[in-house]
Amino acid sequence: MSSSIAPTNGGRLFGDLLRGLSGPSGPESRSLGLVGPGVHPPQPPEHCLRLCLGGSVDAIPRRGCALLAGAARGEIPADALRNGRCPAGCAVAARSVRVNGEPAVLLTVNGELPGPAVAGADLLGQLDRAQELVQRVDELLAENAGFANEVLQNYEQLNLIFDLTREIAQITESRAIERLLMQRLARLLVGHGAGVCSAEGEWRAAVADESAAVAPAALEAIVAQVKAQRQVQVGTAGNAAVIAGPLARLDGRVDVACVLRAPGAAPFGAGDMLLLESLLTFGGQILSNNTLHERLRQMSLEVVRALVAAIDKKDHYTSGHSERGGFLTRLTAQELGCSPAEQQTMEWAGLLHDVGKIGVPEEILCKPGKLTPEEFEVIKQHPRMGYEILRPIASFELVLDGVLYHHEYPDGTGYPAGLRGDAIPLVARIIHVVDTFDALTSTRSYRQAYPIERALEVIRAEMGTRIDPEAAEAFFRAFERYRREQPEDFHVRFGALRGGTVEASP
Amino acid sequence: MSRILVAEDDPHILRLISLWLTRQGHTVVEARNGIAARELAQAEPVDVLVCDVNMPGLDGLSLIEALRSTAHVRRGVVVLTNRWDHGDLRDRLAAEGIQVLPKPFSPTRLSEVVAALLAAVSVEPGGREPGAT
Ligand SMILES: [Fe+2]
Repeated sequence: MSSSIAPTNGGRLFGDLLRGLSGPSGPESRSLGLVGPGVHPPQPPEHCLRLCLGGSVDAIPRRGCALLAGAARGEIPADALRNGRCPAGCAVAARSVRVNGEPAVLLTVNGELPGPAVAGADLLGQLDRAQELVQRVDELLAENAGFANEVLQNYEQLNLIFDLTREIAQITESRAIERLLMQRLARLLVGHGAGVCSAEGEWRAAVADESAAVAPAALEAIVAQVKAQRQVQVGTAGNAAVIAGPLARLDGRVDVACVLRAPGAAPFGAGDMLLLESLLTFGGQILSNNTLHERLRQMSLEVVRALVAAIDKKDHYTSGHSERGGFLTRLTAQELGCSPAEQQTMEWAGLLHDVGKIGVPEEILCKPGKLTPEEFEVIKQHPRMGYEILRPIASFELVLDGVLYHHEYPDGTGYPAGLRGDAIPLVARIIHVVDTFDALTSTRSYRQAYPIERALEVIRAEMGTRIDPEAAEAFFRAFERYRREQPEDFHVRFGALRGGTVEASP
Repeated sequence: MSRILVAEDDPHILRLISLWLTRQGHTVVEARNGIAARELAQAEPVDVLVCDVNMPGLDGLSLIEALRSTAHVRRGVVVLTNRWDHGDLRDRLAAEGIQVLPKPFSPTRLSEVVAALLAAVSVEPGGREPGAT
């Protein structure tokens, strides 16, 4: 984890401690100091600070004596250990300590010039007490930093888990969920590589840092272990640390999620195992639910297809009408910024909008030439009949709306309800535009198919009366975008129509 | 060197934030409540203010209000808030260019946000408006 702290700024704390020890009672000129690579900022004896350093600890490398400069690097001259004299002539004694994991020098200076060369026994005794205290404070600081690291790491993990649960809810594709889960796991566990070895033996990498590029073969042992025991395992793959755990699937088989650290990094611990286990349980649950959902979606789709086949069989001379209706409805819904789920439902509505024609007698539906007013009244029943057919099975309100209202006109002259303007559900307005376009570009017994551009003009001319402007504009944009961005697909779908391959033929 | 004022009434969280930001190389000034924070900032300007929302005496939002449009906070403000009132508050504060982090804070995100504030716009001494960078 990147969030880790080392004890720092401990220097000031040591300074306070040493000043307290020197105390007001001691000789004014005698003082304790602590310097070394782990002491920030350095705490030279007050005496040195005043006499030799001009009051600034930054001056140690420039103006400090050889003794102090060496001590700042953690070095201690042998003769100073008991007692000696500094280059300026003061009596000095030193002890070696460890601060912040580095060697440091604790020293005391007696500056009573021209005082005794020997630091008195009381001074040495004080030095020994200080050494003990400095060592204990350093341990406490290290402990404190350790606890702080632990808490910070937990904070980081909590945030990652929180983000993961939120992000995962927005994804519907199983592989994408799996990839996100593994990427987040790699971050949580400070892994350099992550992937899933499927029950079938396929390796799906989600994170592949070069430093942890691992041959899936190296994972075989731990993967087999996880499959056998169905619980999290730690081990090594090559010389990388690896942690692996089971992702239970709906079919009862187990995919194995693996996270690797680069060679040389710390092995995975008990905390990592707990974290992996709980997140894999969560992830496995989400993935299983998603699979279940995908299966239901597939089943619904099959029901829809069966119904569409039934419509097309009945009304064969508009063959492909349902399929095009579904496709163009989805395209328009997408243009309007509908969510993927809404687009799907709208596509079904587009596919199924004429399902009620199943209930219209064939001699009317397929009658060549003009219909009598009575026959037309029968035809007009098809939205209602479609609604009745789908109501027991369609769990989506949007589909029912689309089917029931796809012959309503903005000016209120449509059927079956005579709704006006915005009272007509959007899905129905879109289907109506799409339906009109498809009818215009199809050959009927009483007229030739219109070229694409002519059909678009007819629709434009009816905007506001029989055609909803919002849906129509979105349809125009979606259609043009499709023609521009996917010319090959466009050609396959609409190339047979006149004008399908030519740009804007008048 | 950047000077960061941390105002937080929970002493442990205050220490944690302080330790973490110190570790990132910042000089951290600690305040246990809003009033102390206001006095510290007024005594010597800080680059960034990291503050809690709920504090006795002077709460985080009032503290920001009190220090706004003065040179006491030079680069920007990070507000730490509870998850559950995160959404609303974030929108409101974001509109004023204030960063919001939910508690418990993500250490990495906190240091990223602070670093971004320090790097983004330099405000001229005297607290004039940032130049168009
Ligand atoms: Fe119809």
